[in-house]
Amino acid sequence: MVDSKHQWKAWLYLSPAIVLLLIFTVWPIYNTIKMSLLEGYNTMAASNPLHPGFSFGFYNYTYVLQYDGIGNFVNCLKNTVLLCILTVPISTILALLIAVALNSIKRLQKLLQTIFFMPYVTNSIAIGMVFAAMFNMIIGGSTRPDSVGIINNVLEFFGIGYINWTNAGSEYWANIVVMVVYIVWNALPFKILILLGGLQSINKQYYEAARVDGTPRWRVLTKITVPLLSPMLAYVVITGFIGGFKEYSSIVGIFGDKLGPTGNPYSLDTMVGFIYRSLSTQEGNASAAALILFGIIFVVTMVNLYVSKKKTYY
Amino acid sequence: MSDIRTMNKRDWKKVSDRQRVVGGIGTAFTYTFLIIMAIIVIFPFYFMIISSLKTMDEYRLSVPTLFPRVFAFQNYAEVFASKDLQLAQLFFNTVFVGVVSTALSLVITVLSAFAFARLEFKGKNALFAGLLATMMIPGELFTITNYQTVNYFGWMNSYTVLIVPFLVSVFYIYLLRQNFLQIPNELYLAAKVDGCGDLKYLRKVMIPLALPTLISITILKMMGSWNSYMWPRLVANDDAHRLITNGLRTAFTNAEGVTNIPVQMAAVTVVSFPLFLVFIFLRKYIMKGVSRSGIKG
Amino acid sequence: MKRLVAILTVVMLLASMMAGCSGGKAAAVDFVMPENGFDTETPVTIKFYHQMGAQLQTILNTAIEDFNKIYPNITVEHATYGDYNGVRDQIKNEIPVGNQPNLAYCYPDHVALYNIAGAVQTLDVLIDDSQYGYTAEQKADFIPAYYNEGKTFGDGKMYTLPISKSTEVLYYNRSFFEKHQLTVPTTWDEMEAVCRQIKAIDPTCIPLGYDSEANWFITMCEQYGSPYTSVDGDKFLFDNAKNKEFVKKFQGWYNEKLVTTEELSGGYTSALFTGESDSGTRCYMCIGSTGGATYQQPNQTNGVFEFEVGITTIPQVDAAKPKVISQGPSLCIFKKSNPQEVLASWLFAKFLTTDVVFQASVSMNNGYAPVIQSVTENPVYAEFLQSADTTHIQAYAVKVALEQKDAYYASPAFNGSSVARDQVGLLMQKCMASTSVDIDAAFKEAVAECKYQAGM
Repeated sequence: MVDSKHQWKAWLYLSPAIVLLLIFTVWPIYNTIKMSLLEGYNTMAASNPLHPGFSFGFYNYTYVLQYDGIGNFVNCLKNTVLLCILTVPISTILALLIAVALNSIKRLQKLLQTIFFMPYVTNSIAIGMVFAAMFNMIIGGSTRPDSVGIINNVLEFFGIGYINWTNAGSEYWANIVVMVVYIVWNALPFKILILLGGLQSINKQYYEAARVDGTPRWRVLTKITVPLLSPMLAYVVITGFIGGFKEYSSIVGIFGDKLGPTGNPYSLDTMVGFIYRSLSTQEGNASAAALILFGIIFVVTMVNLYVSKKKTYY
Repeated sequence: MSDIRTMNKRDWKKVSDRQRVVGGIGTAFTYTFLIIMAIIVIFPFYFMIISSLKTMDEYRLSVPTLFPRVFAFQNYAEVFASKDLQLAQLFFNTVFVGVVSTALSLVITVLSAFAFARLEFKGKNALFAGLLATMMIPGELFTITNYQTVNYFGWMNSYTVLIVPFLVSVFYIYLLRQNFLQIPNELYLAAKVDGCGDLKYLRKVMIPLALPTLISITILKMMGSWNSYMWPRLVANDDAHRLITNGLRTAFTNAEGVTNIPVQMAAVTVVSFPLFLVFIFLRKYIMKGVSRSGIKG
Repeated sequence: MKRLVAILTVVMLLASMMAGCSGGKAAAVDFVMPENGFDTETPVTIKFYHQMGAQLQTILNTAIEDFNKIYPNITVEHATYGDYNGVRDQIKNEIPVGNQPNLAYCYPDHVALYNIAGAVQTLDVLIDDSQYGYTAEQKADFIPAYYNEGKTFGDGKMYTLPISKSTEVLYYNRSFFEKHQLTVPTTWDEMEAVCRQIKAIDPTCIPLGYDSEANWFITMCEQYGSPYTSVDGDKFLFDNAKNKEFVKKFQGWYNEKLVTTEELSGGYTSALFTGESDSGTRCYMCIGSTGGATYQQPNQTNGVFEFEVGITTIPQVDAAKPKVISQGPSLCIFKKSNPQEVLASWLFAKFLTTDVVFQASVSMNNGYAPVIQSVTENPVYAEFLQSADTTHIQAYAVKVALEQKDAYYASPAFNGSSVARDQVGLLMQKCMASTSVDIDAAFKEAVAECKYQAGM
């Protein structure tokens, strides 16, 4: 039974949220779809009283996919996917190991937990600058670099020599290594926290039984911990992929607005970077790109959910 | 391994002895691993702080020192005095936007969560499902139109534009609704019988009981405004309204010629400091908030 | 999930109903002079956006006071937006909501952008008006190349007025050149020879620094007479053999460490010109803007400059037909429904472009060149120009800029001209930074990127 007296009350309580959502969420969804379907839409032309209007169709979609400029969509997609498939497994496995280790100790647990959580509360752009400085190598006129970051000093100490990580003339793989290190570092705390929470809720009896059995640790990990933790692992992987597909500010943090080392602009651009770049002049293209990104995230999430349903033990 | 039920006492002892030895090695290994990882995790912070205290000359040494020879506190003085950075203004903007948007956001979230958790109305489930579906869509989609909308409203370069568009978070509503649902309905009905109004009931019963979640939301929202970068850069990048993250980047890109990295690092340290404080004092709540939320910022 | 799909489908259908309707082609609309001319009674307020710092604003305020002595009923409200891009972004945001100012400092490509929205007022009717326009003398007073920049928009109409201009010049270490009896290069061939001579004297140096990669590319196109961009047709024409040839040549120079640029060296090359870097690198020549002359002033020890600076025209392909870039802000006027506002804006723009005191004060303050020739007859300004030397480097730069007034060129301005500029700068960096780069592919990519961002 719906109490009619409460009806208006409920809507009253909901009204601020609904009004704001209509303006800032529902309207944008509608408008994005509209803009993406108007050929070459941009606000400047749209505000010209003499503009003939935009024709309707999927032009923006094919255009975005086909253009082969310096920071083209395919390249952005490639970077995004590459970073995703590298960082998600690495950070998940590392986080799992750290969480299991943290869960098995008593002394120093609080302190270590705090340390592992610290990257979470830092400003990602600010720490990006720190990483950029650590990997730095500025080449002056002479053969000797003007200023060398700590990473290269460590490498030199081990007799490997300087590697140009992020500066002009650096190679793609070196840029990717820096990005992977940075993104993994950034992603660890959240994953550790979720997995630690999951571990603490696992019934201790399973471990007791294993202990009595004298099962080796790695078997405990693969046969007991991982299956029992699978819902959290699935969650961490899925959110990791969703976040990974939206990677952008970490690249700005390391490489700045040109999204690549000097002399190779946009070489590390991602899909979100592509959307923002199109946004400044070509809103129609930006909308199409955003919807394509939505489609990709949607599919990947569905696949992830499907796989995790098959592999997850509840 | 022998079956647990057939083991005799001697076997038990043997097993536990072996466990102890293996355990000892294992524990040592575990600590080593954790400490190495902790050092890696914390190193950028350490690097940031020592670099901020070095003189330019020391920073430039080809083999960097791991501890500053002289503490160059003037780097910090320079950060606070910098006309480029206008630190006080940036701090004020960020804190102001953070506090106001958190306060308003809490009110909206509590009211909505209450409606979804306690009140009955037509289309409730459909509406709630619709709200949850919007969470699937990447926020970048919204940026394009919201940019035009706030432009249309004439909100460019104002505090409003930094606060209003993100007041409603479906996620927070969802979180709080789950929390409210755990509070027994009998309390609500009893309150009704006592002639206690909805708002009074909310204030006296629901809010105190859901306090941890509310604190978590507060902290996440505050951290969000501290870290937000894209939207503010797009809509409020003037001197009067710039937020801290954009301020850092703008100040450094404006610098001509060689940048003074120690001063840069000092600025980054200064900016990160309030977050560290908040974190240390409210660690328990943040952790709870994050593990509940699963979404950063 | 089904619900979401259903919603999406409905929204798609709605969007399809919004399909465009057709209308006339966008075209410039000329100003129509009000029947009774300018109304000197009714108060009118005009908004003016610029990028001026505090000192320039003081000069502007004085100019406004002088202007108000002639037209007391016009109130000029002005605001600064930090830099030229700040002005552009602000106006770009305001045009869709009809909130744009009456006049603004602009670069040609900003005007091309505003033109997409048809927001800029063409000035021909105003300029030629017998009562309110320029007199024949005033027109003749403009440095012609500067004046003609207002017509680079493809339809022969005047969209902007020059306000103050800068160019690129070659700064060189005169003390070093004299000591080693080097000749200051006038062509690129001579430049190469001099660089090698210098490199032989000081092996750790990079003889030449070029601040702006984009300017370098565009100026080379102009000097060779090879295509860069055009207002119509394919617009982006810079992917051609001649341009690849010079890019390849400069790649070789960079490799031999004969030259460096701002981005490649990681900072303004003027820093290498005025003093050594930490590893002992320095430049003995630097090509940079006249507007940045003060940055080229050598370091001082005990109040004495470490060396003497010489300033001259940049190297040419053909020294007999010199080409140097013309940069710096112009003024544009926006369309408004009230013709009195437009007319008032025009009168103010006319005042700023013809007032000797304003033109001279701005030039003496920021080192940009004035746009009218009569300024040099002003005694204070003449004295300023005479002081030109290392200690008065700004005056020196302006003097050289004024001397080469017949060499100026300006690139066509259209929707996408600023993208082309960005892209050739990045292209130059990319090709120079690495010898393994595929130059053909890089040119192709840059053109594709231009076309994408221009929506072609």
